[in-house]
Amino acid sequence: MARVGVFVCFCGANIADYVDVPQVVEEVKRIKEVKFATEYKYMCSDPGQGMIRDAIVQNKLTSIVVAACSPRMHEKTFRKALSDAGMNPYLLEVANIREHSSWVHQKDKKAATEKAMDLCRMAVAKSIANEQLHEISVPVTKRALVIGGGIAGIQAALDIADARIPVVLVERSPSIGGKMAQLDETFPTLDCAQCILTPKMVDVASHPYIELIPYSEVIELQGFVGNYKVRIKKKASYVNFKTCTGCGACWQKCPVKVPNEYNMGIDKRKAIYTPFPQAVPNKPVIDAEHCTMLTKGKCGICAKVCDKGSIDYTMQDEIIEREIGAVVVATGYDMWDPKPYEEYGVGRFKDIITSLEFERMVSANGPTNGVPIRPSDGKVPKNVVFIKCVGSRDEAKGIEYCSKICCMYTTKHTILLHHKVHDSHAYVFYMDIRAAGKGYEEFVKKAQVDTGTTYLRGRVSKIYKKGDKLMVRGEDAQLGQVVEVEADMVVLATAVSAPKDNPDLARLLGISYDKYGYLSEAHPKLRPVETAKAGIFLAGCTQAPKDIPETVSQASACAAKVCGLFAGDTMKKDPMVSTINNEYCSGCQNCVKVCPYGAIVTDDVPIGHGSKELRTVAKINEGVCQGCGSCVAICRSMAINLAGFTDPQIINEIVSI
Amino acid sequence: MKKLTYFPGCSAHGTSEEFDSTLKLVLKTLDVELEDIPDWNCCGATSAHVMTENLAYALPMRNLVLAEKLENTTMGIACASCYQRMKVTKVHMDENPELAQRINTTVVEEGTYKGTVDVKSMLQYFYEDIGVETIRGKVTKSLAGLKVACYYGCLLTRPKNITKFDSPEYPVSMDQICEALGATATEFDYKTECCGASFSISNTEVVLNLSGQILAMAKESGAHAIVVACPLCQSNLDMRQPDIEKQQGVKYDIPVFYITQLMALAFGNPVDQLKFPKHIVPVEGALANIGKIDPVPQKVKKPIKAVEAESEVE
Repeated sequence: MARVGVFVCFCGANIADYVDVPQVVEEVKRIKEVKFATEYKYMCSDPGQGMIRDAIVQNKLTSIVVAACSPRMHEKTFRKALSDAGMNPYLLEVANIREHSSWVHQKDKKAATEKAMDLCRMAVAKSIANEQLHEISVPVTKRALVIGGGIAGIQAALDIADARIPVVLVERSPSIGGKMAQLDETFPTLDCAQCILTPKMVDVASHPYIELIPYSEVIELQGFVGNYKVRIKKKASYVNFKTCTGCGACWQKCPVKVPNEYNMGIDKRKAIYTPFPQAVPNKPVIDAEHCTMLTKGKCGICAKVCDKGSIDYTMQDEIIEREIGAVVVATGYDMWDPKPYEEYGVGRFKDIITSLEFERMVSANGPTNGVPIRPSDGKVPKNVVFIKCVGSRDEAKGIEYCSKICCMYTTKHTILLHHKVHDSHAYVFYMDIRAAGKGYEEFVKKAQVDTGTTYLRGRVSKIYKKGDKLMVRGEDAQLGQVVEVEADMVVLATAVSAPKDNPDLARLLGISYDKYGYLSEAHPKLRPVETAKAGIFLAGCTQAPKDIPETVSQASACAAKVCGLFAGDTMKKDPMVSTINNEYCSGCQNCVKVCPYGAIVTDDVPIGHGSKELRTVAKINEGVCQGCGSCVAICRSMAINLAGFTDPQIINEIVSI
Repeated sequence: MKKLTYFPGCSAHGTSEEFDSTLKLVLKTLDVELEDIPDWNCCGATSAHVMTENLAYALPMRNLVLAEKLENTTMGIACASCYQRMKVTKVHMDENPELAQRINTTVVEEGTYKGTVDVKSMLQYFYEDIGVETIRGKVTKSLAGLKVACYYGCLLTRPKNITKFDSPEYPVSMDQICEALGATATEFDYKTECCGASFSISNTEVVLNLSGQILAMAKESGAHAIVVACPLCQSNLDMRQPDIEKQQGVKYDIPVFYITQLMALAFGNPVDQLKFPKHIVPVEGALANIGKIDPVPQKVKKPIKAVEAESEVE
């Protein structure tokens, strides 16, 4: 006879405000198999878990039902409580009366209570048919893949590699460094970005545990946590990196000029190029789209001037395969295109630039030798208007969220302007100044005093041209007046947006992304670096806008997670996997087709006992199976059983209500 | 010959009679026949939609229902405000059939609303249905030498999701038509600024200030004249110009043409049919830039002096 214990949680007020918990307890007590039922404010807390442990021992319980939050939240917690009391942890059932009842039925307490009772009855019925299950051990490939070579990817790769775990770092562009390599100085300390970043880039290139694969993209990921296989497309660089010395003769002589991405198109690069002088690897690639030798078969100068013979116009894309155990995704961010701000004359007025363009101008290695200039006439601007929240916090034209970094980088820009043009004056139109962070508020305050910047709280409604000046009209909400500022140049603090290709990448990796295109973490508070797919982690702005310190922290957190995952030679895995009953399997292989994880293969078994004739049946790879149940549903012969979700368990649930 | 359903609106028979009559000249050249909506009514203008939603929808809907009885699929509207009310109603009704059904009960005698007639401003009609190239092909007297600032006002391209035409902030359709006529469109950043609209009567100061800025910017852009496609814009910029000049102490002397007047002129219509005497600001100076044309007829009556802003509140 089953002896079930039921533990109903208040979840503080989360459940108790909308579900009558004591009534639920009374109701479940009426089920004859329930030998013990109680309630508690926080069942997940130590005293709550203690109640479960004690009840198991004292009442000789055979299965446990916890009615609380989603099993995604605390199933593991409660399973551990069962283990601690000497009970098989898979004899637990969670009735989700928070997400499935109290949170969604806040307007009707009676109905929410009744639904909670039903959920409990189902869980009790199911738990009666629960069987003892045991964790599965799978081997682990101790090598990590890091996608993206910005500061997030660099930090994650270095931290993992320092733990003597091999890392494959894949970067799409010809050099690692990412957006940070484009920055001049960094807030709030005004550290030179190059000085703190480039040594790390060199460390990556020289680290014995890091395999850097630049100018490449991940095109396929197969397998499961601990046992992934990745396919990487290495784009043809047309330069043999083994013999190239990076002398630069090729790009000095190349006659084709192309807008320079690194400098936001302010100057030109050549068709054979390294993105910037401190690039890692410091070897050029040929831009196949613009090279006239590759497009029209005319030129060939770079091959002529290369004394190492490193240029190879016949080079093809290459596919590289690696076996890895974990993935860190660090694909960074894009700058939002301010084109929808037509009232600012974006695109019509040359002297309206974006913050990243301004950053390149004031950068010591920038296209204007560190001096901001007006693109229209090359003059040095005196009055510069900075407009914050261009795209950010704008539901009508842009995106709803705060990009988080613009308040700080705009403050930095007012300082840099002041440093570079002593008699300049900066105006900042802002909505709020969000300076939460160590040393941030102090930085803003000091900058305001030191630079004498005029801060105007309000939105800019229009920019128009008067002579060679830009007239910036906006609201000064504190004065309640419309103000106009005569500007030589306007800098738009454009929003941080998710990389355009993130949805494609997410599909490729089998992880989820939000409505903006940011990759989704498993839990916003308690699992901010994991994705919902085991073994895939997120670092940096690909998850949400963040600044460099936060990005580095998250990258190091990813490294800790990867190291933890690789701590043993094998990995434990939930036993909720499918098994095939060969007696019933007809070998139709429909299950092979529907399995989203490629976990089902075929096997040949004797037709009968001792027979030499063979027939084909399906076979499940336990390590790969994620227990989704698709195969169970498709199987016509009812030959597949999913542990933890057997037919008797499901039928019990249905019958109970 | 193309046919077009026409909604003149009240101003076409009064303050903007020159818009209406030159529009008809232009459409004759473009081989388009206008068909008036029989028994059309007021669009509701600014009054109805600040009073009740029902009335604001029902008035235009009656016109839409009547227009559906004609065979044409497009309704052209001269006045920007009429266009706005009619377009808003059409878009909202088409998006929300339940609302359409409810509003329809008010004008049930006229028929059932089907949503089969598209609503366009005349500017939009010229730009999308006639086309800039066709217009260019009809020019017999080029306006080369004339620099114009094209002023669209607030309603012709807004709100973006209702009008779905040109840009809400920096439209170019009228500029392109003017260029096709041979004129030069200046770079004019005040294209869509507010002229003060109907405050012309209730708070004239506001109009003098706002329309004054538009005139100043047009002058600054180097324009000889302003071109509009909205009766209220025309009346504020033209009729209030002497008062603005007096207030600001600046002489603008910048005439304000309807786009159709310039089109009719470029299509070779006689100058005496273009209703120039109806203008407050004389047009001769600006038109002198295109070379010799027939003399502009003199005003029949003395121009009506702009009504002084009354200081109602003592």
